[in-house]
Order: sequence, then structure tokens, then C-alpha cells
Amino acid sequence: MDILTISNLWKRFGEKEVLKGVNLNVPEHSIFGFIGKNGAGKTTIMKSILGLLEIDAGEILVAGEKVKYGQTKTNRHIGYLPDMPEFYSFMTPYEYLKFCGEVTGMDSADIKNRSEELLKLVGLGEERRRIKGFSRGMKQRLGIAQALLNRPKLLICDEPTSALDPIGRKEILDILLAAREQTTILFSTHILSDVERICSDVAVLNDGKIVVQGALSEIREMRTSEDFLESLFLEVVDK
Amino acid sequence: MKSFVAFLKKEWMDLIRSGRLLVLVILFVVFGIMNPAIAKVTPWLMEMMADSLAETGLIMTEVHVDAMTSWTQFFKNIPMGLIAFVLIQSSLFSKEYQSGTLVLVLTKGMARYKVIVAKFSVMIFLWTFCYWLCYGITYGYNAYFWDNSVANVLVPTAINWWLFGVWTISLIVLFSAFVRNNIGVLIGTGGTVLAAYLIGLLPKVKEYSPTMLMNTAGLLAGAEELATYSKTIGVTLILCVAAVGVSIPIMNKRELL
Repeated sequence: MDILTISNLWKRFGEKEVLKGVNLNVPEHSIFGFIGKNGAGKTTIMKSILGLLEIDAGEILVAGEKVKYGQTKTNRHIGYLPDMPEFYSFMTPYEYLKFCGEVTGMDSADIKNRSEELLKLVGLGEERRRIKGFSRGMKQRLGIAQALLNRPKLLICDEPTSALDPIGRKEILDILLAAREQTTILFSTHILSDVERICSDVAVLNDGKIVVQGALSEIREMRTSEDFLESLFLEVVDK
Repeated sequence: MKSFVAFLKKEWMDLIRSGRLLVLVILFVVFGIMNPAIAKVTPWLMEMMADSLAETGLIMTEVHVDAMTSWTQFFKNIPMGLIAFVLIQSSLFSKEYQSGTLVLVLTKGMARYKVIVAKFSVMIFLWTFCYWLCYGITYGYNAYFWDNSVANVLVPTAINWWLFGVWTISLIVLFSAFVRNNIGVLIGTGGTVLAAYLIGLLPKVKEYSPTMLMNTAGLLAGAEELATYSKTIGVTLILCVAAVGVSIPIMNKRELL
């Protein structure tokens, strides 16, 4: 079953047609790598899935429910990690997760257990400082914890590794791999080695359309070269 | 309801930890002390200046001060308190838009109207607390030094001015739903108050302008009836509800990036 289905999605910003009929299916329990060059429209698609942007045409279904622009109930199925997550800097990580848990309507015992479990998973279990002094990598890790807090069916991560150093990237990828047992992950990136490392499925967005989509293993079989993803990406982008 | 309470708690924590609560409380306490203090030192100041004034030909007679002098000072100083309040609170929404903190809350399924109502409630609570704290301090000193009974309909007059502050806060909410930065909120709020003030200069329609609630001298001196302001109070209440009511659908359709 597909946790996310996007059909014929169109979006224009002024004169620029950013999305030109995007079709995308994300199977349940996959780590879905969403590749595209900078400005291809990856973030636009993700914000449309979250109901933060008004689409011009098409339909988005999350767990079988239609996404509505503005106030959408489908967000209860989704955990979201923006590319540069910002939190209430006057809170500690534990206070922030408590706040998120209360906003989503979790009970206090569950919030406490889940917060401890997730902060430990992302390596912030012993962190008692306020978020104000956190590095970008620490914010990304806290971002994953808050996104997973209410056990979402779909975790959307917008370029979670792009701004990080190699160690930070490895940490985030390891956390995403560990989170796979709990949820389906859709993550956008232009770092192809990240996709090769953890993804089970992949889609390439170019010129407002999905040009390649499928299981990574199948795509690997179709290509002969060692750096098959890079050659595929360059091929579709150059067309 | 749980998410609304959680958001209220978050707003409260922000007020305390950012120091905004402390700054506003100190400011309104200082204003509260200043009103009777200025009234108290006025005769002394006049006496000090009497000699230099006499040289210019102005002869000082005895200066009489009482609680009315202090209350007049209160209603002269409180606009500065409201301006400081608006300046400090104008970024309440915009800092969340710009930093992206609100996006994470909304993508967790929090209803947008709850954000509006929670922020409005916290601002009303804060304004009410600061305003009546300032009033209480002035009242206490006035009672100690003079006699508050010289001021007519004191509490209703003070409620009128407080209501003007509530209307200003509802404008902050309204413009915060429209614009992205706090400069826009300040221009929108200030511009609307200015427009209301200009309407208040037109005799035929002045009673429909909330700025009329700032006219306190006539009421305190007993020259005006409280009933004169009933239409203005009604209009202001309707405008407050309308401003918050209109901001909800605007917020619901707002693109957040």
C-alpha cells in the first residue's frame, strides 16, 4: 500500500511553472529518496503535502486521505523536518518535545517515555541546555526527534543532510535508518551518495516532473556503471 | 483544548524567559510611581523656577496639587505605556513566521485559530495586568497623599482607556494575520489608530471612533456623562471582535514558508 500518492500536481509561482504534473507514489515502510537539483521544486512538493502551499491542480493523498490547503487533518499522519528547523530557543529539548506532545494530544506518560526514547536515539538524552546554544547538527537531530514523537506514518525530511559536515551527515543518516522500523521516510536531497546509502526507493524530479521512479535495486540493475545514480541523474538533468 | 493550553503555556514561558514580562512590568510600575511623584514635586519645581520666571515677568502664585493632578498625569503617561507595549508585542507573530517555528507546530495538526486566540489572550492578559498594576500604584499613592474622591467616575474612565488598549491589541492580531514582518504590523496598527483619531475630529461621526475613549479629562472633572461614551464603547467592542474574527480566515489561508 502507498502511504503517499501525488497525482498530476501543478504549481506556478508568478510566471514560473514549478511543477508540471507531478505523479509520485511512496510505498509504506520505504526510505524514499527524492532527488533533484537545487530549485527543482522538491520543497514545493513537500510543503504542498503538508498543506502549507496552495496547489493549482492535482491531488495529494496521505494514508488515503485528501490533503487540504491551509488547515489539513492529514498532518496528524505526518512528521516533518524542514531543511533548517527552528525551535523555540528558550526551551530545553525535553521541554520542546513535551510541548509538541501536548499539541498533538498525547498523554503525559507517553510524552515522557517517548521523549526520553527519542532524545536518546538522536544523542540528546543528556542535553539539559536550552536550544538557543545548539549547533545546526544538534537542531537537525532534535528535528528528527520532534518529527517522530507522535509515531507518524510518514516522516518528511527536507534536505536533512545538506548543510552538515560529514560526521553530522553520517549521524543523521544512521538515525533515519534506525527510524525506518517505525515509519515511512520521504527525504529530499541532492547528495546522491546519501540516497545510495540508505534508500530503498528513489524518484528524480527534473523540470517540474518526475522523470525516474522505482526501487533502488531495480534502477541499480538497469545501469552498468558503478556510480549508477550519478550517471542516471546527470543523464535526466541534461536532457 | 489540550493543544490550546500547551500553546498558552509556551507563550507564557516565552514572556518570562525572554524578559519581556519583566521589562513591561518595570515600565508600568515606573509609570505608576511617576504619576503621583510628578504631581508631588510640581509645587517644589515651580518654587525653584519662581525666581527665574519672575525675571521674565511671570509671577508665580501658590500651586495647588491634588489627586486630580496625579490622575491627569496617569492618563498623559499611559499612552507611552501602550506605545511601548505595542512595540514590544508587535513581533509576537512575525518572529514565528520569519524563524519558521510556527510551521512545525501547525504541521503537527494544531488548528490555526488556536494560535490567534492564544496570542490574543496572552496579550490581553498582559495589557490588563500591566495597566491595572500601574493604576493600582497610582491609586495607592494618591490615597496616601491626597483624596481619590476628587476624580469623578474614576474606574469607568480607566476602563474606557483600558478598552482602547484592547482595541489596539486586536489591531496587532489583525495585521499580524496579513503581513509578514513587525514593521508592517506597526504601520498597520499605527495607521489605523491615526485614521480613527482623524475620524474623531469630525463632530458628526466622532462618537464612532475608539480614540474617543482616550478623552478622560471631561469625565474626571464631571463635565461629561459616562453615557456619552456608550456608543463609542459598543463600536469599539464590535471592532475588537471583528478584528480577531477576520484574522482567523486570513490566517487559515495564509501560505507559510
